[in-house]
Amino acid sequence: MNTLRLYSVLLGARLRSQMQYRGSFLLDLLGTMLGTLTYFLALAAVISRFGGIGGWTLWEVAFLYGLAETSFGLMDLVWGGYDYDFFSPRIRSGEFDQMLLRPLPLPLQILTSEFALRRLGRIAQGLAIFALSAHLSGVDWTAAKLLYLPVVIASSMAFFAALYVVGSTVCFWTIERLEVFNLLTYGGAEMLSYPMHIYHPWLTRFFTFVVPAAIQVYYPALYFLGKPDLTGMPGFMSFLAPFTGFGCLALSFAFWRFGVRHYQSTGT
Amino acid sequence: MIEVQDLRKEFRVMRHREGALGAVRNLFSREYRLVRAVDGIDFSIVRGELVGYLGPNGAGKSTTIKMLTGILVPTSGEVVVNGRVPWRERRAHVSRIGVVFGQRNALWWDLPVVESFDLLRHIYRIPADRYRSNRAQFEEILGLGEFLHTPVRSLSLGQMMRANLAAAFLHDPDIVFLDEPTIGLDVVAKERIRCFIRRVNQERGVTVILTTHDLSDVERLCRRVMMIDHGRLIYDGQLQELLARFGGERELVVDLAEPGDQVIVEGARVVSQEGARVTLAFYPAEASASDLIARLAARYRLADLSVREPQIEATVRRIYEEGLLDQARSAEDTARA
Repeated sequence: MNTLRLYSVLLGARLRSQMQYRGSFLLDLLGTMLGTLTYFLALAAVISRFGGIGGWTLWEVAFLYGLAETSFGLMDLVWGGYDYDFFSPRIRSGEFDQMLLRPLPLPLQILTSEFALRRLGRIAQGLAIFALSAHLSGVDWTAAKLLYLPVVIASSMAFFAALYVVGSTVCFWTIERLEVFNLLTYGGAEMLSYPMHIYHPWLTRFFTFVVPAAIQVYYPALYFLGKPDLTGMPGFMSFLAPFTGFGCLALSFAFWRFGVRHYQSTGT
Repeated sequence: MIEVQDLRKEFRVMRHREGALGAVRNLFSREYRLVRAVDGIDFSIVRGELVGYLGPNGAGKSTTIKMLTGILVPTSGEVVVNGRVPWRERRAHVSRIGVVFGQRNALWWDLPVVESFDLLRHIYRIPADRYRSNRAQFEEILGLGEFLHTPVRSLSLGQMMRANLAAAFLHDPDIVFLDEPTIGLDVVAKERIRCFIRRVNQERGVTVILTTHDLSDVERLCRRVMMIDHGRLIYDGQLQELLARFGGERELVVDLAEPGDQVIVEGARVVSQEGARVTLAFYPAEASASDLIARLAARYRLADLSVREPQIEATVRRIYEEGLLDQARSAEDTARA
C-alpha cells in the first residue's frame, strides 16, 4: 500500500531529524524514565503504607497502572503529532497551510510530524510494571485473557488518540491553550491508575458514560484480575472496550473533518 | 487554465473594544464587522502565462492566492484551475501545482536539502529520470550545489528561498504560485531567482502567478499584470500599456553632432543640456517618441539617441495614491453615459 510506504518514508525523515539532536534525545529519554519511575514509586509507597486500596493489593493496582501507562505511552509515541502542544503552533506558523498544499492525507502528515522516541521511556516503565504485576497479582491467564489483552491495549490507545484529535481540532477555533485537555489526557491516564470505585460516584459515572476512560482500563482489569465489580455495572462492561475506544476515535475524526472545513472557511 | 468568476471572500472580524471594560464586555457579547477581502474578481489565465499580481498590503492578494491553491474556500464565486475546483479536489489539485511563500520554508527543517528533494520525489511520485534531470538543471541555475547537503535550518534566507523554489518546480507542476519570493533578499539572489523563473516559464511553459511588492520583479518578468486594491481588480492587462497610460514622463537622451544653442522642441521639456548631450522629458500621452525624434532630426543633426522607460515604481505609486485607475474608469463611464 502506497500510504504505508509513504508513512514509513516520512517517519524515517522525522526520526532522522530527531537524531540530529542526539544529546537532547538521550537526556529526554532518561528524564522520562526517571519521572515515571519516581511516580510509580510514590504510588507504591502510598499503597503499601495502607496495605492496599479499595480492596485491591499493590500489585493489582500496579496492573491497572501498567496497563494505563503502556497504552497511553504507546499512543503518545505513534499519535504524538495530534498532541495539541505540537499541533497548535503549526497552525499559527503556517505549517498547517503547507500540509494543505501537499498531495498527502492530512492525518498522515500530522502523524509523521512528530514521533517522540523519548516516549519509549514511559512505555518501557509501563511494560515492566505491567509484566511484573501480571505475574505477581495472581492473574489466572487463560487463552481468552491473553487474546483480549492486546485488544484492550489497542482500544485504550484508540481512546486516548481520540482525546488528542479532539484537543487538536479545537485549535481551529481557539489559539488559547486549553488546559482542560491536558487534564483529560495526562490527568485521565493517572486517574486510571487507581481502581475506579474509590472515587466519588459522580466522577466514576463521568468517566464511564461521558468520557468512557473507565471502560478502557478499569472494567477490563476487573475481568483479568477476577475482581468483583463494586460499581454496580453489568458484567459485559469489561468487554465494551474496543467499541468505545474505536467508536470514540471515529467520532473524533468526524469532528476533525468538521474542524478542517471550518479552518478553510475562516482562515487564520 | 485558471478561470475565476465573481470571486468573493468575506471575513467576520471581531470588533475590538478598547480598555479594560471593553475586554470584559468582549467576553460576553461579541460584535463583528464584515471585511470584504475579495470583492468580486474575474479573470482568466492561459497556460504558459507569467502574470504579476500587484496590490498594496491588505488588498486581497494573499486571500486570492489561498483560494486558488485551495487553502481557503470562497464566500461565493467560482474558481476552476486545470479543470478542478481547488478546495473540492485538494489532493488532485495540489499534486499539479507548486507554491512558494516568501520567507517561509516548506522543506524539512532539520534535514539536508537533498533529503527534502528525495522526500518530495516520493510524495509527488516523480519518475526517476525526470527527478534527476530537473534536479540537475535547477541545481545549476540556482547554484544549489554549495549547500545541497546542508540542513535547511543552517541556510541563509537567500539559500533557503532558492532551495524552496527548486522544490516547487521539481514535480513538473502546471502552475506555480509565488507569493513574494524575493522579499528580503539581496540583489544577487533576486537576479538568480528571476532568471530561474523566466527560464522555467519560457522553456517548460509553466504558468506562473507572481505576487510581489518588488516592482523590478514585475518589470523583468511579467508582460501581463493584474492590480488589486480593496478586494477589486482595478487593472488587468499589459504592463506596458499600464505604464503608457499612467506612466510618468519618458526620457529621450540625444547626443547632438556638435554642441549648439539651447535646444527647443515642441512636446517635450529640456531637463538638462550638457555639451552635446541633451536630456528631454515628455509625456507619452502628449507626444510619441518617434514624433519627437522626427522634429529634432529636422532641426538638429543627431549623433545618437536613446529612450528611457518610465520608472515603474513611480507609476504604480501614482496609480494607488491618486486613484488614477478609478478616475479613468469613471471617466469612461461618464463618456459612455
